[in-house]
Amino acid sequence: MSTSYQAVLHTPTIDSIPFWSACNQDQLLLQHCAECETSFYYARRLCPHCGGEKISWHQSAGKGTVFSFSEVAVSFFGPEWDADLPYTVVLVDLDEGPRMLSRMLKQDQARVSIGVRVQVSFVQVHAQKLPFFELL
Amino acid sequence: MPRVSDQVVIVGAGETKVGKLPGLQSVHIQAWAVQQALVDCGLRVSELDGLINLDPYAVPHSMFSSTLSEYLGLKPKFLSTLDVGGTVTGMTMLQQAVWAIEAGHCEVVACVYGENALTARAPEQRGLAMQNLMGGQEWEEPFGVHGMVTPYALVAQRYLHQYGATVDDFGEVSVLTRRHALNNENAQMKKPMTLEDHRASKLISSPLRLLDCSLVSDGGGAVILTTRSRARRMGQRFVSITSMAMRATHSSIAQLPDLEDFGMREAGLDAFEAAGEGPEAMQVALLHDAFSVSVLITLEALGFCQPGQGGNYLRAGHASMEGRCPLNPHGGLLSQAHIGGMLHLTEAVQQLRGRAGRRQIEGARRAVVSGNGGVFSVCGVMVLEAN
Repeated sequence: MSTSYQAVLHTPTIDSIPFWSACNQDQLLLQHCAECETSFYYARRLCPHCGGEKISWHQSAGKGTVFSFSEVAVSFFGPEWDADLPYTVVLVDLDEGPRMLSRMLKQDQARVSIGVRVQVSFVQVHAQKLPFFELL
Repeated sequence: MPRVSDQVVIVGAGETKVGKLPGLQSVHIQAWAVQQALVDCGLRVSELDGLINLDPYAVPHSMFSSTLSEYLGLKPKFLSTLDVGGTVTGMTMLQQAVWAIEAGHCEVVACVYGENALTARAPEQRGLAMQNLMGGQEWEEPFGVHGMVTPYALVAQRYLHQYGATVDDFGEVSVLTRRHALNNENAQMKKPMTLEDHRASKLISSPLRLLDCSLVSDGGGAVILTTRSRARRMGQRFVSITSMAMRATHSSIAQLPDLEDFGMREAGLDAFEAAGEGPEAMQVALLHDAFSVSVLITLEALGFCQPGQGGNYLRAGHASMEGRCPLNPHGGLLSQAHIGGMLHLTEAVQQLRGRAGRRQIEGARRAVVSGNGGVFSVCGVMVLEAN
């Protein structure tokens, strides 16, 4: 099994620069709304639960429970991804509330199942550290 | 929730050939579909004064309704290009046509969906080549998610876990709709399929296999709407849109809600309440089947069976041609062609007009059509009735 990771990176937006910058410092940040006391993901300029605008960034503990997963067996990104196959995508319910789409670390991906506990683990891909997950 | 309209009706429907249509661009395919629908009800192109179409996905355009209108030689009073998602796009076209006609803007509207999704893509391309973005890519692609298979695989895996369902339940959908497609001469897939074929097909993104995935197709479909009084004068059998309801909960898989919170349930409740009829009163169901699991979730959300019982519902034969409510008699996106669900609407119309040929369901009076765009992101339910 290859230990390299492929990823298509996007240029951070005015909303998401704090999130991706913090990843490079091994921190998973969530936005928190002071009006409805809810944390949310992904980054945006207003609270998607109440429309509140008193938004601040907080560090997540990075722990959560797997809501679902899929082992991806074919490349949707062209032949250069073939060495990365298979890889496992997860939807994680973070303890702070939000659901987050991510990927499992290679060494743990075959052992993932719905309901297992996971924690964030940052993986350097190109110029960005990405918030992947490992088994807790 | 108001009923859609008593005064505007569907008088015609048509579809192009489907599969590979090399050399044809989206405008050619949409024009062909409009011509077919006009032939179906005996109208001429020049009688159209309204046109609503899809902005194609494979090769996006701007102002595509005017492109098609010019190609057809029209000078319409009402134009619109729509993209809501899946069959909900087609339903919204019909809804908008009703509003435009009722408000007096125009009298005869063509709603058309079609593109060259299969031949426009590069040979090595997997799935539909989406040259337009859907949003959410920043939260999907860094994690290896692109396109629609993995998002639906995440839904499917959760479905298996939550309801103790099996992958053979998925296979029942694929096998049933293939059997139906074999009865449709305008279907992309021509070979029979067994559950064993489904189990042995290539794993794409667990738990989904190749035969859980809908097709990529060239082709188009169109529907013609006009006033009830004009339809009567035309002497055509026509179809009423009894109700339509929509619910959008999210867009990207990165914001997926719990399965029980998908918008299909509420859209179905609203549409059936407005129709004054429930699933038991439907004689045909055209359910959006981008993936096999979509059909199970939709059957359950619309109340055809209990959550998790979709596979058993199919095994009991209720969705077969001789069952209590045949499902996707045309073969659907899984085995006829993936024209964004527009052929679910044209099939509903032809079944209710008694013009579905050898797959005609005897006595079909009411149809339910479901749609979902994205990954159950935008859900729609429409009830149609024969006159």
